[in-house]
Amino acid sequence: MASAHRVHSLPGGARFVVEPMPERLSASAVLMFAGGSRLEDDRLAGVSHFIEHLYFKGTKTRPTSKEIADAIEGVGGFINASTDKELTAYWTRVPSEHMRLGLDVLFDLVANSRLDPADVERERGVILEELRMYQDQPQDYVQNLLEELIWPGHPLGRDIAGTEESVSRLTRDDILEYADAHYRLPNLVVGAAGSLDEAAMIDAVRTGLVLRAEPDGSLVAAAPAPLERPRVLVRRRETEQAHICIGARSLSYMHPDRYALDLLNTVLGEGMSSRLFLNIRERLGLAYDVHSFTQKHRDTGYLGIYIGVDPKKAVDAVNAAVSELRGLAETEVLPDELARAKEFTKGRLRLELETTNGVAFWLTYQELLLGEIKTIEEEVALVEAVTAGDVMRIARDVVSGPIQMSVIGPFGRDSAFRLAIGA
Amino acid sequence: MSSSGRGSRKRTHNGGSVAGREPHVAADRIRRAIALVNSLADEAGDEELTPSEIAEAIRDCLELDEVDRVPNVRRYLGEALDAVSDGMPADFVAMTLYAALGALREGGAG
Repeated sequence: MASAHRVHSLPGGARFVVEPMPERLSASAVLMFAGGSRLEDDRLAGVSHFIEHLYFKGTKTRPTSKEIADAIEGVGGFINASTDKELTAYWTRVPSEHMRLGLDVLFDLVANSRLDPADVERERGVILEELRMYQDQPQDYVQNLLEELIWPGHPLGRDIAGTEESVSRLTRDDILEYADAHYRLPNLVVGAAGSLDEAAMIDAVRTGLVLRAEPDGSLVAAAPAPLERPRVLVRRRETEQAHICIGARSLSYMHPDRYALDLLNTVLGEGMSSRLFLNIRERLGLAYDVHSFTQKHRDTGYLGIYIGVDPKKAVDAVNAAVSELRGLAETEVLPDELARAKEFTKGRLRLELETTNGVAFWLTYQELLLGEIKTIEEEVALVEAVTAGDVMRIARDVVSGPIQMSVIGPFGRDSAFRLAIGA
Repeated sequence: MSSSGRGSRKRTHNGGSVAGREPHVAADRIRRAIALVNSLADEAGDEELTPSEIAEAIRDCLELDEVDRVPNVRRYLGEALDAVSDGMPADFVAMTLYAALGALREGGAG
């Protein structure tokens, strides 16, 4: 089935991607801006996330957060936003007859926010609490620590929300200046999917969204420096479980072998039929939670493994996990295992695209970050084309780089962990 | 050299080590050391148990040649012995011994 999406160029350099899904009862829209925490220097760390929070505090026409929420929830819809390392997205999903309202609220948020000084101070407190809360969630925080090791001294290695120091210091002027530089039409892709009137949507986007059109010259994302050696970072906490992340640099989302990396990740540690789950949890009984994951950016990425384990079994579990990864670099996966991984990947993709929101994000993300949109059939064909040799080649590439490891748990020294990865 | 040290060096007729037997000795000795450490951690074992006895149990492991046949086993045991000497918590010593046992297993010798 061919995808029905269309891409429209808008005045000012923005793009509009739309896929009518007339059989649905809902419609979704996404405003996605290139940017995110990767573009922030140390002084401005967390400003993109701060802006995203502040935009929900009130606009010139809907002066309070309650009025914003009421506008969408009053028709049964959802509205939310997220900040990532390379993008910031605002989205809504509403019953299809209210799509015009949904777009109007999104445009209002990003173009007419009041950024009231009192709201800035209140939200600063909220974000500082968010940062502290995150540190109390070791299974998440340990991944942040790993990213500090994967991209040391680089904005990609920093928490998206910034640091307590940077968030405490950001001024309203910093926020206004940053928003003005980055919330511009050339940095924006608008996406929509669902039961909608395409011509009316184009008209709404052309007439309803008022942002500056001139590109800003400051959108420069520096590449991270190569990693030189394996490193271990241990944060001592008197936790009942040890939380461990192991990772190595890998491919970007622009790399043609990214599909082989995804299949490597699936075989290694996605789901209860993965090697990590079957061998480390089921066979050896070493860990309750063990899985792998990837993170990809424009010019870099990594493959990671998370292990939640009894502290006494921590190093044993690390050795077993690294051994599973090395095994994939030494021997090709069996045909049935690769076939299962492909079906898993294709199935997850299709499930992701069940909702209008999923389709809107899928289209917008591709247009903004990749500069082209592949249909689901094209994606599936690329997954199908991956061979067992490709997976082994990517695994070799991953294990040839220095392995990094972060640990949170009751450990007074890191020597045994360093020994495990040769650090 | 102690008699126990000589006793651990079994030879075949052609001079090679006896495969398939001594690795189990190493694994058993490491398990014994782990049991001692765990009973110290749980305070449920012998009241007379001291760190010196745990250190002795780890040294018993280090005496075996087969701990050199699998990468890192001797180094983990050395780390465990250092941890006992440095007064590290019993759980940390146990973790390092489990790592040694796991390395033996990964090396097909556990």
